[in-house]
Amino acid sequence: MKYEHVEDRAALYALGALPDDERAAIDAHLRECSACTEAVGAAERDVALIVSTEPQHGVPPALAARIDRLVQPRSLEGMRRYPRPAWPYAAAIAAALLLGLLPSAYFWSENLAMHRAMLAQSNAMGRLASGSHRTAHFRPSNASPPAEVMYALDGSWYVVVVRDPSKSLSVAWMHDGVHTMLGNAVPNGNVAMLYLPKSHRMDRLALMDGNRLVAEATLSWQSTVPNRRAGRSG
Amino acid sequence: MPALEGDEVLAAAFAAHEGWAFGEAYRRYAALLYSAAYNVLGNADEAQDCVADAVAKLWRSRGAYSASRGNLRSFLVVCIRNEAISRGRRQARALRLEERLAAMPVEHEQLGASDPIERDRVRSALLALSPPQRTALELAYYKGKTHSEIAAELQEPLGTIKSRIKHGLRKLGSILESTARIGSDRL
Repeated sequence: MKYEHVEDRAALYALGALPDDERAAIDAHLRECSACTEAVGAAERDVALIVSTEPQHGVPPALAARIDRLVQPRSLEGMRRYPRPAWPYAAAIAAALLLGLLPSAYFWSENLAMHRAMLAQSNAMGRLASGSHRTAHFRPSNASPPAEVMYALDGSWYVVVVRDPSKSLSVAWMHDGVHTMLGNAVPNGNVAMLYLPKSHRMDRLALMDGNRLVAEATLSWQSTVPNRRAGRSG
Repeated sequence: MPALEGDEVLAAAFAAHEGWAFGEAYRRYAALLYSAAYNVLGNADEAQDCVADAVAKLWRSRGAYSASRGNLRSFLVVCIRNEAISRGRRQARALRLEERLAAMPVEHEQLGASDPIERDRVRSALLALSPPQRTALELAYYKGKTHSEIAAELQEPLGTIKSRIKHGLRKLGSILESTARIGSDRL
């Protein structure tokens, strides 16, 4: 079964119309046969087109936390074992760390080690985070810690920082009357932070405690003078 | 909507089994993936377990996705939907899947449940298929039946059912693709 081509069953596979054992055998075959992999990929695209027309449901915030727990510890292992071969990957990680460190240090000013880290990497920061950014403050709708979001003028990244958090808060994009969960700002010392590399502009972000909205920020995209430079230190 | 280049970079990192790519892929497609499971299982807790288990299996199983597979989002959608169908089959021995779905209360905010344009698109696309193709495809997709069950139910040879589903799915996908609304960020 493993070495038998499965092109004629690609549609059945993608539709879920095969019993588990047959699907497992196909999975094994696909690891070795690119032709069948392409056929299955084409069928998967057709099925995904149907799936995308069906009702979509709000994702429970708890699920994002479960996924994070599943992949976060091993993601670090994966980064060590499989260094990024191309500079965009390395730049993305470096930018995430550096841009994450910057607001962290800004609000956690007593942490001298963080400042030292900032200074040590200032040259790299100047290259990777030289663009201007804006800052929007979250308006608390209930008792919630102060928070703000810094974001690139082109919407390519966002950094959400929550000060003195008592627990992890979810960040959601509010749009079209719904909210899309983006991730969790996890406390680390006196701040909780979430770095979001994106490629589109988001007008409204919310902090969620479970299903409860605790704060909301409105982001401006008008072509006015930005709040400050990304490299400004606190 | 992430740029195409962003999707390609993510897919390459996912294929290389890089941890950050798993987290980012989930965050990027969370609503679609969770909804794919929920629409099969009709239960929020089971849908969450399904998505988490499917991601965990992918994480443990190096090489499940490769660039030749094509679109990462499609791969993940099918992976999670297949996991949901397997769960549904296991749980539905005493109660048929469609009866459970009909009986399940709506537990979460539905984002596109009443979108008449999408319903009309799918309905029109299905009507464009030949009746035998449509019947076979509906039994597979909407009823969660295996090809053997469909062949038995329709009293047709297995090869005939395979052929009808294969060509029906391709035609349906082509129609949906060609009628996709401009500017839609779904696929």
